[in-house]
Parts: sequence; structure tokens; C-alpha cells
Amino acid sequence: MLLVPCPYCGPRNASDLRHVGESHVRPDPNTATPEEWRTYLYLRDNAADWTTETWYGTRCCRKYFKVERNTATNEFRNPPMPGNKLGGKA
Amino acid sequence: MGLFNLGRGSDGRPPKYSAAGLFAKGLTGGEWPRVWRDVPLKKSYDVIIIGGGVHGLATAYYLATNHGITNVAVLDKAYLGSGGSGRNTAIVRSNYLTPEGVAFYDRSLELYNGMTEDLNINVMFSERGHLTLAHSDSALRTMHWRAEVNKLQNIDSSVIDPQQVKEIVPSLDISPDAHHPIMGALYHPPGGIIRHDAVVWGYARGADHRGVEMHQKTEVLDILCEGGEGPDGKGAGGKVTGVRTNRGDISAPVVVNCTAGWASLISDMAGVRLPITTQPLQAAVTEPTKVFLPAVVVSGSLHVYVSQTDRGELVFGAAVDPFTNYNVRGSLDFTEGLAGHILELMPGVSRMRLLRQWAGLCDMTPDYSPVMGFTPVEGFLVDVGWGTYGFKAGPVSGEQMAECIATNQTPKLIEAFPLSRFATGELVGEKGAAAVGH
Amino acid sequence: MAQSNRLPQQPHEVIDRGSPLNFTWNGKNLTGFTGDTIASALVANGVEVVSRSMKYHRPRGYITADFWDPNGFVQVGPEPNVRSGHRELSSGIAVDPQNVWPSLDYDVKAANGLVGRFLSAGFYYKTFMKPASLWPAFEKVLSTFAPGGTVDLEAPKDEFDKRYAHPDVLVAGGGPAGMAAAIAAAESGASVMLVEHEHRLGGHLCWGSDADVALAGELAAAAEAAGVEVLVNSTVTGRYEDNWIAVTQRSHPLATERLIKARAKVLVVAAGLIERPYVFAGNDKPGVMLSGAVRRLVNLYAAKPGERAVVFSANADGDATVADLERAGIEVASVVDARSGANLIEAHGGSKRVSSIEFADGSKVDADLLVVAAGWTAPTSLLNMAGDRPVYDESSARFFPQHAIDNVLTTGGLAGDGTRDELVEHGRATGRLAAERAAAVRHRLQAFTVQAAPVDGDEPAWADDARTPLGRDPHPALFQSTSTGTKSKAFVDFSEDISNKDLVAAAKEGYDSVELLKRYTTATMGPAQGKLETVNTVAVLADARGETIEEVGTTVWRPPYAPISLGGLAGRIFNPHRVSAIHEWHTSNGMVPIQAGAWERPDHYGDPAAEVRNTRENVGIIDVSPLGKLDLRGPDVPKLLNLLYTNKWSKLPIEGVRYGIMCADDGVVMDDGVTGHLGENHYLMTTTSSGAARVWEWIENWLQTERPDWQVHVTPVTTAYTSINVAGPKSRELMAQLTDIDLDPEAFPYMTLRQGTIAGIDDCIMWRIGFTGELSYELHVPAGHGLHVWETLMETGADLGIKPFGLEAQRIMRLEKGHFIVGQDTDGLTLAPTTGLEPLIKLDKDDFVGKAELAWAMNDRLDELPRLVAIQTTDPTIVPMEATQIVRAGTTEILGRITSSRMSPTLNRSVCLGQVASAMAAPGTELELVLIPDGRRVTATVMEHHAHFDPEGERLRA
Repeated sequence: MLLVPCPYCGPRNASDLRHVGESHVRPDPNTATPEEWRTYLYLRDNAADWTTETWYGTRCCRKYFKVERNTATNEFRNPPMPGNKLGGKA
Repeated sequence: MGLFNLGRGSDGRPPKYSAAGLFAKGLTGGEWPRVWRDVPLKKSYDVIIIGGGVHGLATAYYLATNHGITNVAVLDKAYLGSGGSGRNTAIVRSNYLTPEGVAFYDRSLELYNGMTEDLNINVMFSERGHLTLAHSDSALRTMHWRAEVNKLQNIDSSVIDPQQVKEIVPSLDISPDAHHPIMGALYHPPGGIIRHDAVVWGYARGADHRGVEMHQKTEVLDILCEGGEGPDGKGAGGKVTGVRTNRGDISAPVVVNCTAGWASLISDMAGVRLPITTQPLQAAVTEPTKVFLPAVVVSGSLHVYVSQTDRGELVFGAAVDPFTNYNVRGSLDFTEGLAGHILELMPGVSRMRLLRQWAGLCDMTPDYSPVMGFTPVEGFLVDVGWGTYGFKAGPVSGEQMAECIATNQTPKLIEAFPLSRFATGELVGEKGAAAVGH
Repeated sequence: MAQSNRLPQQPHEVIDRGSPLNFTWNGKNLTGFTGDTIASALVANGVEVVSRSMKYHRPRGYITADFWDPNGFVQVGPEPNVRSGHRELSSGIAVDPQNVWPSLDYDVKAANGLVGRFLSAGFYYKTFMKPASLWPAFEKVLSTFAPGGTVDLEAPKDEFDKRYAHPDVLVAGGGPAGMAAAIAAAESGASVMLVEHEHRLGGHLCWGSDADVALAGELAAAAEAAGVEVLVNSTVTGRYEDNWIAVTQRSHPLATERLIKARAKVLVVAAGLIERPYVFAGNDKPGVMLSGAVRRLVNLYAAKPGERAVVFSANADGDATVADLERAGIEVASVVDARSGANLIEAHGGSKRVSSIEFADGSKVDADLLVVAAGWTAPTSLLNMAGDRPVYDESSARFFPQHAIDNVLTTGGLAGDGTRDELVEHGRATGRLAAERAAAVRHRLQAFTVQAAPVDGDEPAWADDARTPLGRDPHPALFQSTSTGTKSKAFVDFSEDISNKDLVAAAKEGYDSVELLKRYTTATMGPAQGKLETVNTVAVLADARGETIEEVGTTVWRPPYAPISLGGLAGRIFNPHRVSAIHEWHTSNGMVPIQAGAWERPDHYGDPAAEVRNTRENVGIIDVSPLGKLDLRGPDVPKLLNLLYTNKWSKLPIEGVRYGIMCADDGVVMDDGVTGHLGENHYLMTTTSSGAARVWEWIENWLQTERPDWQVHVTPVTTAYTSINVAGPKSRELMAQLTDIDLDPEAFPYMTLRQGTIAGIDDCIMWRIGFTGELSYELHVPAGHGLHVWETLMETGADLGIKPFGLEAQRIMRLEKGHFIVGQDTDGLTLAPTTGLEPLIKLDKDDFVGKAELAWAMNDRLDELPRLVAIQTTDPTIVPMEATQIVRAGTTEILGRITSSRMSPTLNRSVCLGQVASAMAAPGTELELVLIPDGRRVTATVMEHHAHFDPEGERLRA
């Protein structure tokens, strides 16, 4: 069970939170072209690397927060996790 | 070809697999030839297919078989079938929700049905029936919807009541006071399971016989493009010239992305962005017991599906993990949830033991449908976004992608699945009732 | 046969001879002792053949006599696949062999052995192909070969449980190093959990010398004294992300299995070593045993494994076995020392047991027991799961960990070799290091949490690994006997009946990487999951390819380390469901319940049609407490409502109520409901019952991420209120008796709300809306008084003919009125304007969620989208089932479907809502329906209004 660094509650089991997804800026609906809008709706970077994403504390603080997670290793950074994943390199 | 001819046949092809051949080998201690050749990597091909799974291999097979295009290389960064093709739960069915989905998967089922003879390898297709359980009024309504769409397209599919469910699968608990009572099921007799590795090896062997090359441990590091609007000539308006691999550059006018789990990363190499998120899907298998489960059982609302192999193992799968992730290590919470749901459906199996768990990567799209065909980069085609249903679609995808490449036109069966639909907003209706179905 | 093979008392035996236990084996009555495993009791009773192999049905006896024994699976009562080498004997159990037909002694399928040469690995891929129609029959035959026991589907479920734990240090393995690590960690102040797979602490010390056994006892006592939590007969089955550790406890007094989920700050892996079989001809014959099996049987259980032994020894354990056998009075006919180059060729024997052993020098010795001590496999599973890829060390002929992992430490046999003292010292050093690192992690965890109490002092320095490494003893590399020219099979995988020849043949066919070889031959896929087989498989492949083991590489061991029962994984199954404050009343008044999401609520009280008629004629009440309710406060609530709903909210006056439809940014309908303006900066929003949680998160998302400057506070109040809808022409008359609020239609018109006292209860909210189409008042009363208000309504309304109505009646009435249900009449592609509510989509607003897509859709392609319309069948008695397809007449072309349908008690005819292609949506269009289930085709007509009943809404505005 992945530990997610909730900035309000501390490290929590991932099952206490909901993964919202990659964070993207919502275009202005009045000026966006259909292509821009649908890029926002559907296209994703889906990198196997550091990704800025949103999580929501469904069973803790009910806050949305952004973190950087490496989707290949599941490490978090910024807000810095204590050490390297609780002191582990794994 | 004589019974004891153990070398190449008069047509230069290896001997067929048969009971007689097995018998002869048993008597003489003779050896079977290599299932596919080990040949040097060339500098150039007519078509390069990235991904040596069932989709890539089937595409290569049908390019050679149906269109005579044999100067083809299939590249895999590991070994053939190492990705989703070897990690899925090997369920096949065609009872989808939309007419376009039904037609497509029905063609796949047809190809699976003839595969043992077509490929001369026993893929052990077990047409044992497929049950999707409904635990609520609304689920039952969706089952009826699927059944009706299926019936109109001559797919054998109907909604049955709990007693009929019990007759087919006696181990299910159909008591109405269960927390997730079984209120009925969508029954699809042509659905079943198949030996997924045999499908991979069969296509590889068939493609090899026709001159296609399989190159394992050959990782694509970049896709070479020219003329595109992005950096290095990538992106819209450009065209493909080849690929860069860990074994050197290879040129080709056509490069096909047939990967799952790495679809976004490969497409990025050509400057093509996809509507995909990658999430692991977990699966597990129990120790074998004497066979007691005769059909494939799926519960959409409990996110679980189970079948029992001829070896007696229960094979389970689940929904995709709740966050994007390229990590295929198994998780404990998956097995806990899975066991809980299975025991609600079949309380009698509590003493069976989970032997092994694993995960595969699924490329999820917003409308639960694949992305197939041309991209804004000329010569770069995709067959991606297969979510949790890629294995079922392997044969038909290969057939249709081969036609797409050979004719340079989108075949009718995959007209609903272009990448461009995410620019026009015309998503596929499988999103309509996004109940999990496997 | 009373324990014919029980030896005289052994110095460190663990059986209690004063406590005999009766059991049956294969239907025969036998006796063992408390402390026996099933295996030791069977051996003590002279049982030689315990199972038949999977493919060839060869007779098999014990080879490792422990948990991993590939031949030791038995059925115990209803429980299949019990590991008889590990399960302790208990009184009265019925033990039976598995995988035999018709009997263990005479197995018909053993004929497979005769045709074995034709059943090469993967043979089934090459045959049973023609005719294709016969494959199902072949499949049925093949499936009778399924190994394993029988599931008793009717047997009562055992008790299972779960537990969470948060130890500083969790030690996997209670041998000398593991115990020492646990003691040292605990003495350094760490909370420690020590998990041992066997039934007692000690590891290999248990069946060792006097000094070994004495040390085991001392360490076990010290662990207890240090406060270590010791779990025996428990297994660390997995290490998941962030040291989330799964422990299966089989020793709990109340639960058959308990799954412990431990978030360990540091994991110490001290799993020891597993003795590896040797691949030579006849190596699966009963009577061929590994040294550990013989030593455990003799030393722990005083069970005699044979009369005359040959010992093939490559290490000290093999040598010690010789001494043990001699002490126990078992003849040792010959000792063959692999270290001096001697080698085995073949174990010969009859059908049931080995009878002579042939050596490389051509000599042959008669024996009924061949002891093999050929080396060790490092069970690195937990390290694999932590991301390590162990590397092969040629001189010691086994794998060792590769990477240092900060929070996963290794000690004992996995880390190296040593004397008792060296192992204990390494364990102690490991325990101290683990405790120091755990302290640092604990400090960090606490400091990281914003609201945590300040942590005392600075974070402890991250302790460096300054342990003196254990040595690595040289060991001959013994995997397969060099001579493979014999006719007998030399097995690599006993469970799967795979010989070295099978592997070589498969590799030559092209399945020449470990993974392909595994998949093609199924080697290592059996119950031990490669713990006995993987290294030999790799070695045989390396030989075939002319490469080293390192070049071939190994496979990744996946969790679980040892199998876990499905019951244990599930634990106790809790199924919480939600009920309203009036639930007890419903149950005692004839409720027929329905599960709606998590809610259990009344579907009806016996006759939903009568409930409809009564509500239309008199007055009815329904418990709508599950309706989602959100209390919204703050000056920016109107902005929020304008953003989330498609219509306009800025001018909704206090005491006004308005309906809204909510879309996602792709324009697809997400939820709907009414929101009332309670007071200045104060609103109450209602949502669909199933959407309550989702809408709350949705609102928070917009407020927290897109509009953080807006001042809105959201509180979910779904269960803070009991919600009751009072509907029907007499509802005003009823309410007038229970409240002082002026109910005059002029004073309290449709789509407004009032707050006040109802049935004596203050702080109630009442609004006039009409999902049923009747004059109705929706009451939201403090939940603690919900039952009181309900009962008061029932009493007061008795004279007016009040009756409760359930969900079904409400669904009928809303359908008569043409109100759609999100998620039933709409689906994941339904754009808001296609539901008939175009006027509610205000594209002139600056922004709202979904605006962009809705604008393009309404301007450019509304004609292409399906529409939601009311439909009536030509034959009023036909109620087409929901999901009935609408087709182009005479064809199978699908043009839409019925999304809702009911027989209307009010109109006495069937009424429907459906989605149809826009070309078919014009009022009066004739549709063709394909009925369920018989496929009969009938006609129906698209109606002008969604409402089948009272389209002008005169009743609800009354």
C-alpha cells in the first residue's frame, strides 16, 4: 500500500485518498478552440516519470493537493517526503 | 511429407504440429525445429511493428498472409508476449454494448474460433460460456441493454434469472439476502477462455513461416521523423523515416505502435499525444483443485472476474488500480478485495489458497474504446488504448491494422476508433454504460 | 501397523509420546503423537507413497517433508492442498491422498508414464487440433488431470480475521540470526514483531546438535524477555510499497488464519535458506530425500525414513545427517562426497521405492533411502518484492542480495555463512541498525505531519551500515548430474512433472529465455512457485545454451511468499448499509426493501400501484432521506451555483427554490437537483441519492483548485436531516394541521421554501416542489426528530387517507410526469440539451462547467445527437421492458432504446421515456420496438410532452 504524503495529515495509505489525475490548466471556455478544449479534456502526458498530479483526501482532510510523483517508481517529492520514501531507496 | 520426416518439408516450411508428429518424435527422440527463427536485424524494412504481443504479431501475420507484405520486423524490448498478452486472464467474448463494438469483437471471436486450425497450434479455446452477474436493478437493466443490442446483431446473448445462473454455476450463492444478491446475469455462451501464450506463439510462428522477423530484446529508443511541426521533425505534418533502437537505427516508411502500457511513451517519440492514462490491472491465481467452475463469471459492480483453468487453478482479475502507475508489482489490497468479493459470490472457496499475483499495464481511454489507425504523422500508425480488453481484440486488430497499412485506408470495422474522435468530441458509446465488463 | 517406523526416543524430539492422536489416512486408522506433523506421523506409520505426480501419476514420497514438499499435498476433511510436511497432526482428522484414481496404490493414470515419451513439455499445443469439434471432449479429459484436492463447496466457512500493526522493526524468520536481530532491536528500544514460518523458533538449530538446540532455547527466552512479539506458524507473505508487510498468522486461537498488515519502519529479512533438490535420473522415487527432511524426521519426530541409507553429501548438513542416522540406528551403507568429485547417476527402484543407487564410477549400492545434500537456494522473494535483483555467486553456488535497501535489511543465510556465533553477531548488528533507522523514520514521520505535536530533539542521524559482513562458504555447484544419458527421467519440477530433457527440448525449439521456458513448460509454476525448482531450471537452461547462470538470469519471485487462503485474505466480511431515522417504522409496517447504492429503503409497502392512486387522490408520504443534501454558506454561493449548474442563480430570492442540472466539462449530465435559498449567504443544495458523495467532492474540487478565492463553506448534511415528501391533493390540508406556516398558495407558492416549526419541531425546512407531479411539500427536519414527524404525519393524516409510498410508486409518478433520472434515462454520453431542458442551459453566462462543449453542440450538431423523449406504445397494455431497443422498421438498425417504462395506474396505460435518434424525435413519429424477451415487434409513438400526465403542471402548482 502506497503511502501518500498528505500535506495536512501526513503520510496516509493511498486507500485514504483519491487519485484525481494529472494537473492541467482549464482553458477559458469563451476563447478556447475545440481543439484546445478537447486537449484539456482528453489528452494526457502520461509520462513514466515525475508528474504533477492532484490527490484528494477522501478519508482524511477532504483537501485537494498537488504533489509530484514518479509514476515509474511511485516516489514522491515536493512537498518533500521525509528522506527517500521513509528512508528507503526501494 | 512422410510421417518420419523431421526436417523441413518439401515446401521449405517446418513440419506441421500433429498427433502423428508427436508420436514420431516420441519414437525417434527427434527434435522440433525452432518455433521462430533467430535472424540478424536488417537496416531497413517495409514495416516496423513496435510491440511483440498478440496485437503486433497478429498485425505482422495478417500483413504477410492477407497482403503479401513480408519485409516486416516485429520489435520487442523483452521477449514475445512479455506484456499484456501474457498477463491477461485470457477471457474472450463479443457481448459489448455498442453495435460497432459488437461487430468488432465478434470478428475477433470468429478468428479465435478458427485459430487452432489456421495457425496449426492448439490455442485451447474453451468455449465455456460467460456470465456477467447483475446485483442491482440498474445493473440488470444494463445487462438487458447489452443483450438486446447483441441479439439484434445475432450474438448469442441473453439475460437469465438466478435459478438459471445456479444451474450453470452451482458454486454461486444466489440467496436473495446476500449483500450483493445475484439478481440475474447476462449469459453469453460463445464466451470463454483461451491459452494466451499459445496465441502469441502461434502468430509468431505463422508470421515467421511467411518471412516476418521477430526481434526480441530490441528496444525502441526513438522514432525518426522529418518535416513535422515539432522538434526533430516530429509531430503533425511530418512523416516517419524509421526507428532508433538499442541495436542501432532501422529505416522504414511505416512504423506501427502496437504497445500496451508504453503506448503514450512510444507515441511521444513521434510527437503524437494520446488520450491515455496507464494503470496497472492486477490478477492472481490460486492453487489447483479439482475442477468445479464450468463458466467464466464476472461481476461488474464487485470488479472481479474468475474462471478455472483445465489445470484446476482459479484465475482472477480486477478493475484497474485507482491511480496511474507504470509499476507492475502486485498490491495486497487488491488481493484482499478480490478474496472478499469472491467469497461473497462463492462462500465455499474460502479454503482455496492464492498462489501468485501479478499485474499488467492497461492504457485507459476516456470512452473505454481503443485508438486505431492513422495519426497526424504520416506513416506512424497506432493500435493502442486497449484498456482491459486488448487480448480479446488481438486477432481482429491485427487483421484490420494489416488492412489499414496495406490499403492506406481505414477499414470499416475500425472506423469508430480513430484518434481524431478526441478532437471532434465524437466518443464511442461504450462510455454510455461504463460498467466494468471483461 | 502401530507406528512401525517410530524410532526410540531422540534427544531433542518435539513429539509428546504421552499424548497419542488418532487419525485416518486413506480410510485407515492410524495413530501419531501430539507434536507430529501429518508427514512425520505418516512416515512413522510406514507410509511410503503419499501422492501421485500430476502428469505421469508416478508414485511419490516425501522429499523435503516440510511446507515446500512438492509431493506432500493431502486433503484434510473439507480442506484441499494441505501441506502435510507443515500441518501439525490433530485428533480425529481424516487425511486423504489427492490426485489418485482409483486409488493411491493402483492408479490407472500411471499408464501415462508408459507413454511419457510422447507427452513432452508443451505437447498439448501440438495436438488435439483435428477435428476442432472434438476439442471440448479432449478438454474434459485433460481437466480430469487437474492436480490438487477437492473443494467442499458446502462446508461451513471458517473464522478469519485481520489486524493492523505498526512495529518499528519486523523480522521475517526466527532462526538464530533473526532471533538475535529481534532481541537486539528490542533492546535498542524498538517495538519488534518476529515472525516464524515453523511451529517454533530456532530455524535449523532445532534439528541440530545439543549446542544448537541449547542456543535456540536461550535466544527464544531472550526474545521473550526483551518484549519481542513472537508469532510462530506465521509467514511474512509479502513486502509491498513503503514496507507494507503482509503476515499470515496461522497460530491464532480463534481464527483459522489472520492477515496482519504491518507498516514496518524497517523490515529485517532472515528467511534462511531452502535446501535444493538435485536433478538426476530417478530423483523422484520415494526414498530419495533431502538432508533437511531426514534430519527433521529423525531428530524432531523420531520417524524413521528408511532402513539402509546412502548419503550424497556436498556440505556439513549432509555430513551431520550421517551422524544423525547412525545415532538413530539406521544403517548408512555408503557416503558419497560430492566435494571430492563423486556423483550420482541414477536412483533405481521398483514402482514404490528406491532400491539401489548407481554412481558415476559405475558402482551400485543397495539402499532404500538416498539422502541428498546438494546445496541451497536463497529464498529472496521478499527482497525481489522490495526491488532487489539478487546476483549469483559462483563460488558458493547460490544467489545473494545485490542492493543495499535502506529500510529492508538482510541477515542469516540470505546474507552469508558463518558459525553459530557469527550468525548471532550479524543478527545482533542487524537488529541494532534496524532499530536506529526505525527511530529516524519515526522522527521524520511525526515531524512531517503539519498538525503533529512538535518532535523532541533533532532527527537522529541516518545510521550507516557498519556491520561486519558474513562470509561466503565455498560450495560445489550441483544442479544436475553430468550424465543425462539414462532412460529414467531426471525431474527439475516435481509438481509439474518436468524433466531436464523437457527443458532442453523446449529451449531448442526457441523457448530459450527463462520466462518463455517457464511459460511453455510450466516449470516453476506449481505450488512451491519455484522455491525448489527455479535455480535448477536456470542451471539446465544455462547448460543447454552454453552460458552461465548469471548470463541466463533468474525470474522475479512474485508475492505471496507462501500461499494465503482466500478466507484469510478476505477476513471477516463487513457489509455496512445505510438506513434512515425512520427505518424501524418501515420494517414494522410492511416495507418491501430495495438496496439503492448503500441505502436500504422501502421499495413499496405491498402494492405500489395503490400507493400511486392514493397519492394522486388523497395524500402520501415518502421517506426521501437518502437525497443528497449540502449546506452552502458564504457570500460567493451564487457564483458557485452559476458555475456548477447550467442555469442562472444570481437572482434567486431568499425563500426561492430552483432546479438545476449539473454537467462535467465535456457537457455530459452529471447530476441534478433543487437548491433552496435559506437566508443571506445560506443555501441548501440537494443532489441525487447516488450522487451525494460525488457532488460534494466535485464542489470541493472547484472551490479548492479553480476558485480558491471564493468564500464558500460546504457541509454535507444528508444524514443531519430526515427528508419526507408529502404529496397529493390533500397535502396542504394535512400540513395545515401541523404547522403555523402560512400555506396559502399565494403566500407559499410553488418553487419556494419556508422555515419553521413542523409537528412541534423547530428548525424545519419545507419547500414546494413536485417530483411526483402533485402538490407536495418536501420537509427536511432534524434527523433526531424524523420518526416523530413521520408518525405525526401518519396519525394526523389518517382521516385524509394518508398512506406511505415507496421508491417504486415515486418512480411511477415521476415517469407519468416525464421527469428523467440521471444515470437511468441519461448515460455517459448524454449532453444536457438533449434531455429536453434546453431552456435551462444559459450560454450567455460568462462561464459554467460544460459551457464550451454545450455551446458547440447546441450551435453545430444538436441534430446529430439522440434525444430523450416520452413514448407511448400503440397497444396500451404492453409495457416494454427498460432497455427495449428501438429499431428502424423491419430492420435491425438500432435507433434508440426505452430507458424507463411502467404501467401507469393513473392513466391505465403504459408510459415510457426513451432515447431516440434525433430524426425520430419529432412528436408523432412512429417507432418500432423489439420486445424483450421474445423479440416481438410492436409500434409506439413519440409524445409531444415529456409529461404523460398533467403536462401543464396544474396539480403541482395548485
